[in-house]
Amino acid sequence: MRLRPAAVLRRLGQSALVVALTYVLVYAVLFLLPGDPIRSRIDNPQNPIPEEQAEAIINYYRLDLPPLEQFWLSVTRLLQGDLGYSLTNGRRVSDLVAQGFGETATLAGVALLVSAALALLIALGAVFAPWARLRGLFRTLPAVALATPGFLIGLVLLQVFAYQLGWFSSIRDEGARSLILPALTLGIGASAPIAQVLIEGLESAWREPFATVLRAGGFPRRSIIGRHVLKNGAIPAVTLLGLTVGELLAGSVIAETIFSRTGLGFVTEQAVRAQDGPTVLAVVMVVSVVFTLVNLATDLVYPLIDPRIGGPRSARIRPHREEIAA
Amino acid sequence: MSAVLHRIRSAPRTRPRLGVVDVLALGVLALVALAIVAPGVLAPADPLEAVPGGTLQPPGSAGLFGTDYLGRDVLSRIVHGTGRTVLASSIAVAIGLGAGSALGLIAAYFGGWADAVVSRVVDVLLSIPGLLLSMVVVVALGFGSTNAAIAVGVASIAAFARLMRSEVLRVRELGFVESARHLGVRPWAVLLRHVLPNSAAPVLSMTALQFGNAILWIAALSFLGYGAPPPLPEWGLLVSEGRGYLSSSPWLTLLPGLVIVATVVAISRVSALIAETRRTRP
Repeated sequence: MRLRPAAVLRRLGQSALVVALTYVLVYAVLFLLPGDPIRSRIDNPQNPIPEEQAEAIINYYRLDLPPLEQFWLSVTRLLQGDLGYSLTNGRRVSDLVAQGFGETATLAGVALLVSAALALLIALGAVFAPWARLRGLFRTLPAVALATPGFLIGLVLLQVFAYQLGWFSSIRDEGARSLILPALTLGIGASAPIAQVLIEGLESAWREPFATVLRAGGFPRRSIIGRHVLKNGAIPAVTLLGLTVGELLAGSVIAETIFSRTGLGFVTEQAVRAQDGPTVLAVVMVVSVVFTLVNLATDLVYPLIDPRIGGPRSARIRPHREEIAA
Repeated sequence: MSAVLHRIRSAPRTRPRLGVVDVLALGVLALVALAIVAPGVLAPADPLEAVPGGTLQPPGSAGLFGTDYLGRDVLSRIVHGTGRTVLASSIAVAIGLGAGSALGLIAAYFGGWADAVVSRVVDVLLSIPGLLLSMVVVVALGFGSTNAAIAVGVASIAAFARLMRSEVLRVRELGFVESARHLGVRPWAVLLRHVLPNSAAPVLSMTALQFGNAILWIAALSFLGYGAPPPLPEWGLLVSEGRGYLSSSPWLTLLPGLVIVATVVAISRVSALIAETRRTRP
């Protein structure tokens, strides 16, 4: 089924609206609620900002204007690519975010691959492993992973592979090698909901009449699973994989803190600690835009992969977001 | 007629059979409850008392879970931290459940532009990952355990709102609700007496699940240092405190971490039980 241009335009408009409303909401929570973070940062008794700098910040954010006018000012500046200045070190927020984004995007990309591979492995084990006991074991893995805080996974990996076995350095930057443990930390956590959805998908595809026909036709089990059941049962899990990107970017705050990396997660951690509103706003917008773009891409590419999607029944194929809330 | 009614009333309710895992899960939750009500029974030692000579003792030698870098008993810090952790999660779930259900009800009941507005807000909330959203709220409100709990609550509003909306829409179309409407029952009475009770089970199951999630998120916020201030014990904070001694005394991190995992697994098992009860009910 081909995509109609009108449907694509509508979907694009929806995405743009969500991103714009996200900006309004986060701006409102950060700056319009009583207790202005910029003012309280300037008046912070423990770490006061020198008067000249404070003056510059107040003049820049025009704190003397009424709230709505401040908001419009921030929107017009945003459209010119000006994200404001960090309240901690006075650097441009756009520089801070751009600097950290590359490292975190690589980390999230590797973690996404890890979570897809792990989910596939666990789901295949849970549905097709030879003994019921073994299948049951595979089936409990996602539930346990869902109940494990991300920081615990990271700390256990650090303790075992860096301190006990000494395979990785916990401090030194070893290039691509240093990516392995944080990517595993993020990937293990993210794989759990994907594995659960994939298990469900594979089971229902295995019960479909076409699978019975193939088995009756004497096709080898391996090729039935690999060529047919996987293709048919993996669709909801692939959608969920797209939704996971946001969680991976957010989870990088914890992974980068534990493994002393300096990406977007680190920037976020520092910004929240210092209650640096402009930087937090920028980070949330970056994550929201990436998340929306990835899901837009998944939605637009699907009808090309699977002709059944795109029709009126398509709503049923998308998994619910609560499933990845953890 | 009365014979039929009698038969219906006395029909045995099929209960889901409790497996070993379910009994274990209920046992864990009973321990958690005991730790909240009477922490002294499980751990007699003072959670704040430092013993200068007995620092970083491994589990078994001094106390069941060993001692931390100040010589405080780890078991009793975990047990005394339970109340704080569970209270924070309760606040979070109350906010999520209250605000989320109200939004979902309004959207489903009034429809039209109310539904459109609520649905857009929910879309926006869902497009920000929960941990990040709660950090935004923490930046706005400031640090502290109550603020962290509120932040996590705000981050879970969208999930409740969506569930409530779809449940009300589902139940509203059922035959008996339609009959009630045709009999002239007032709209609010239909909503409160027929629609709400019948959408309670999935919402309850979701509440239990979100309670587990709230524990994880609040632990994550305190681990990053945005939650309860030290030296008060809180589960995420305990893991965070042990982090500096990870290579030499890993139990400081692992034991509180495992307590979190056991509790959340138990809660999610109970949540699944609630969902099963609903499915097997005649």
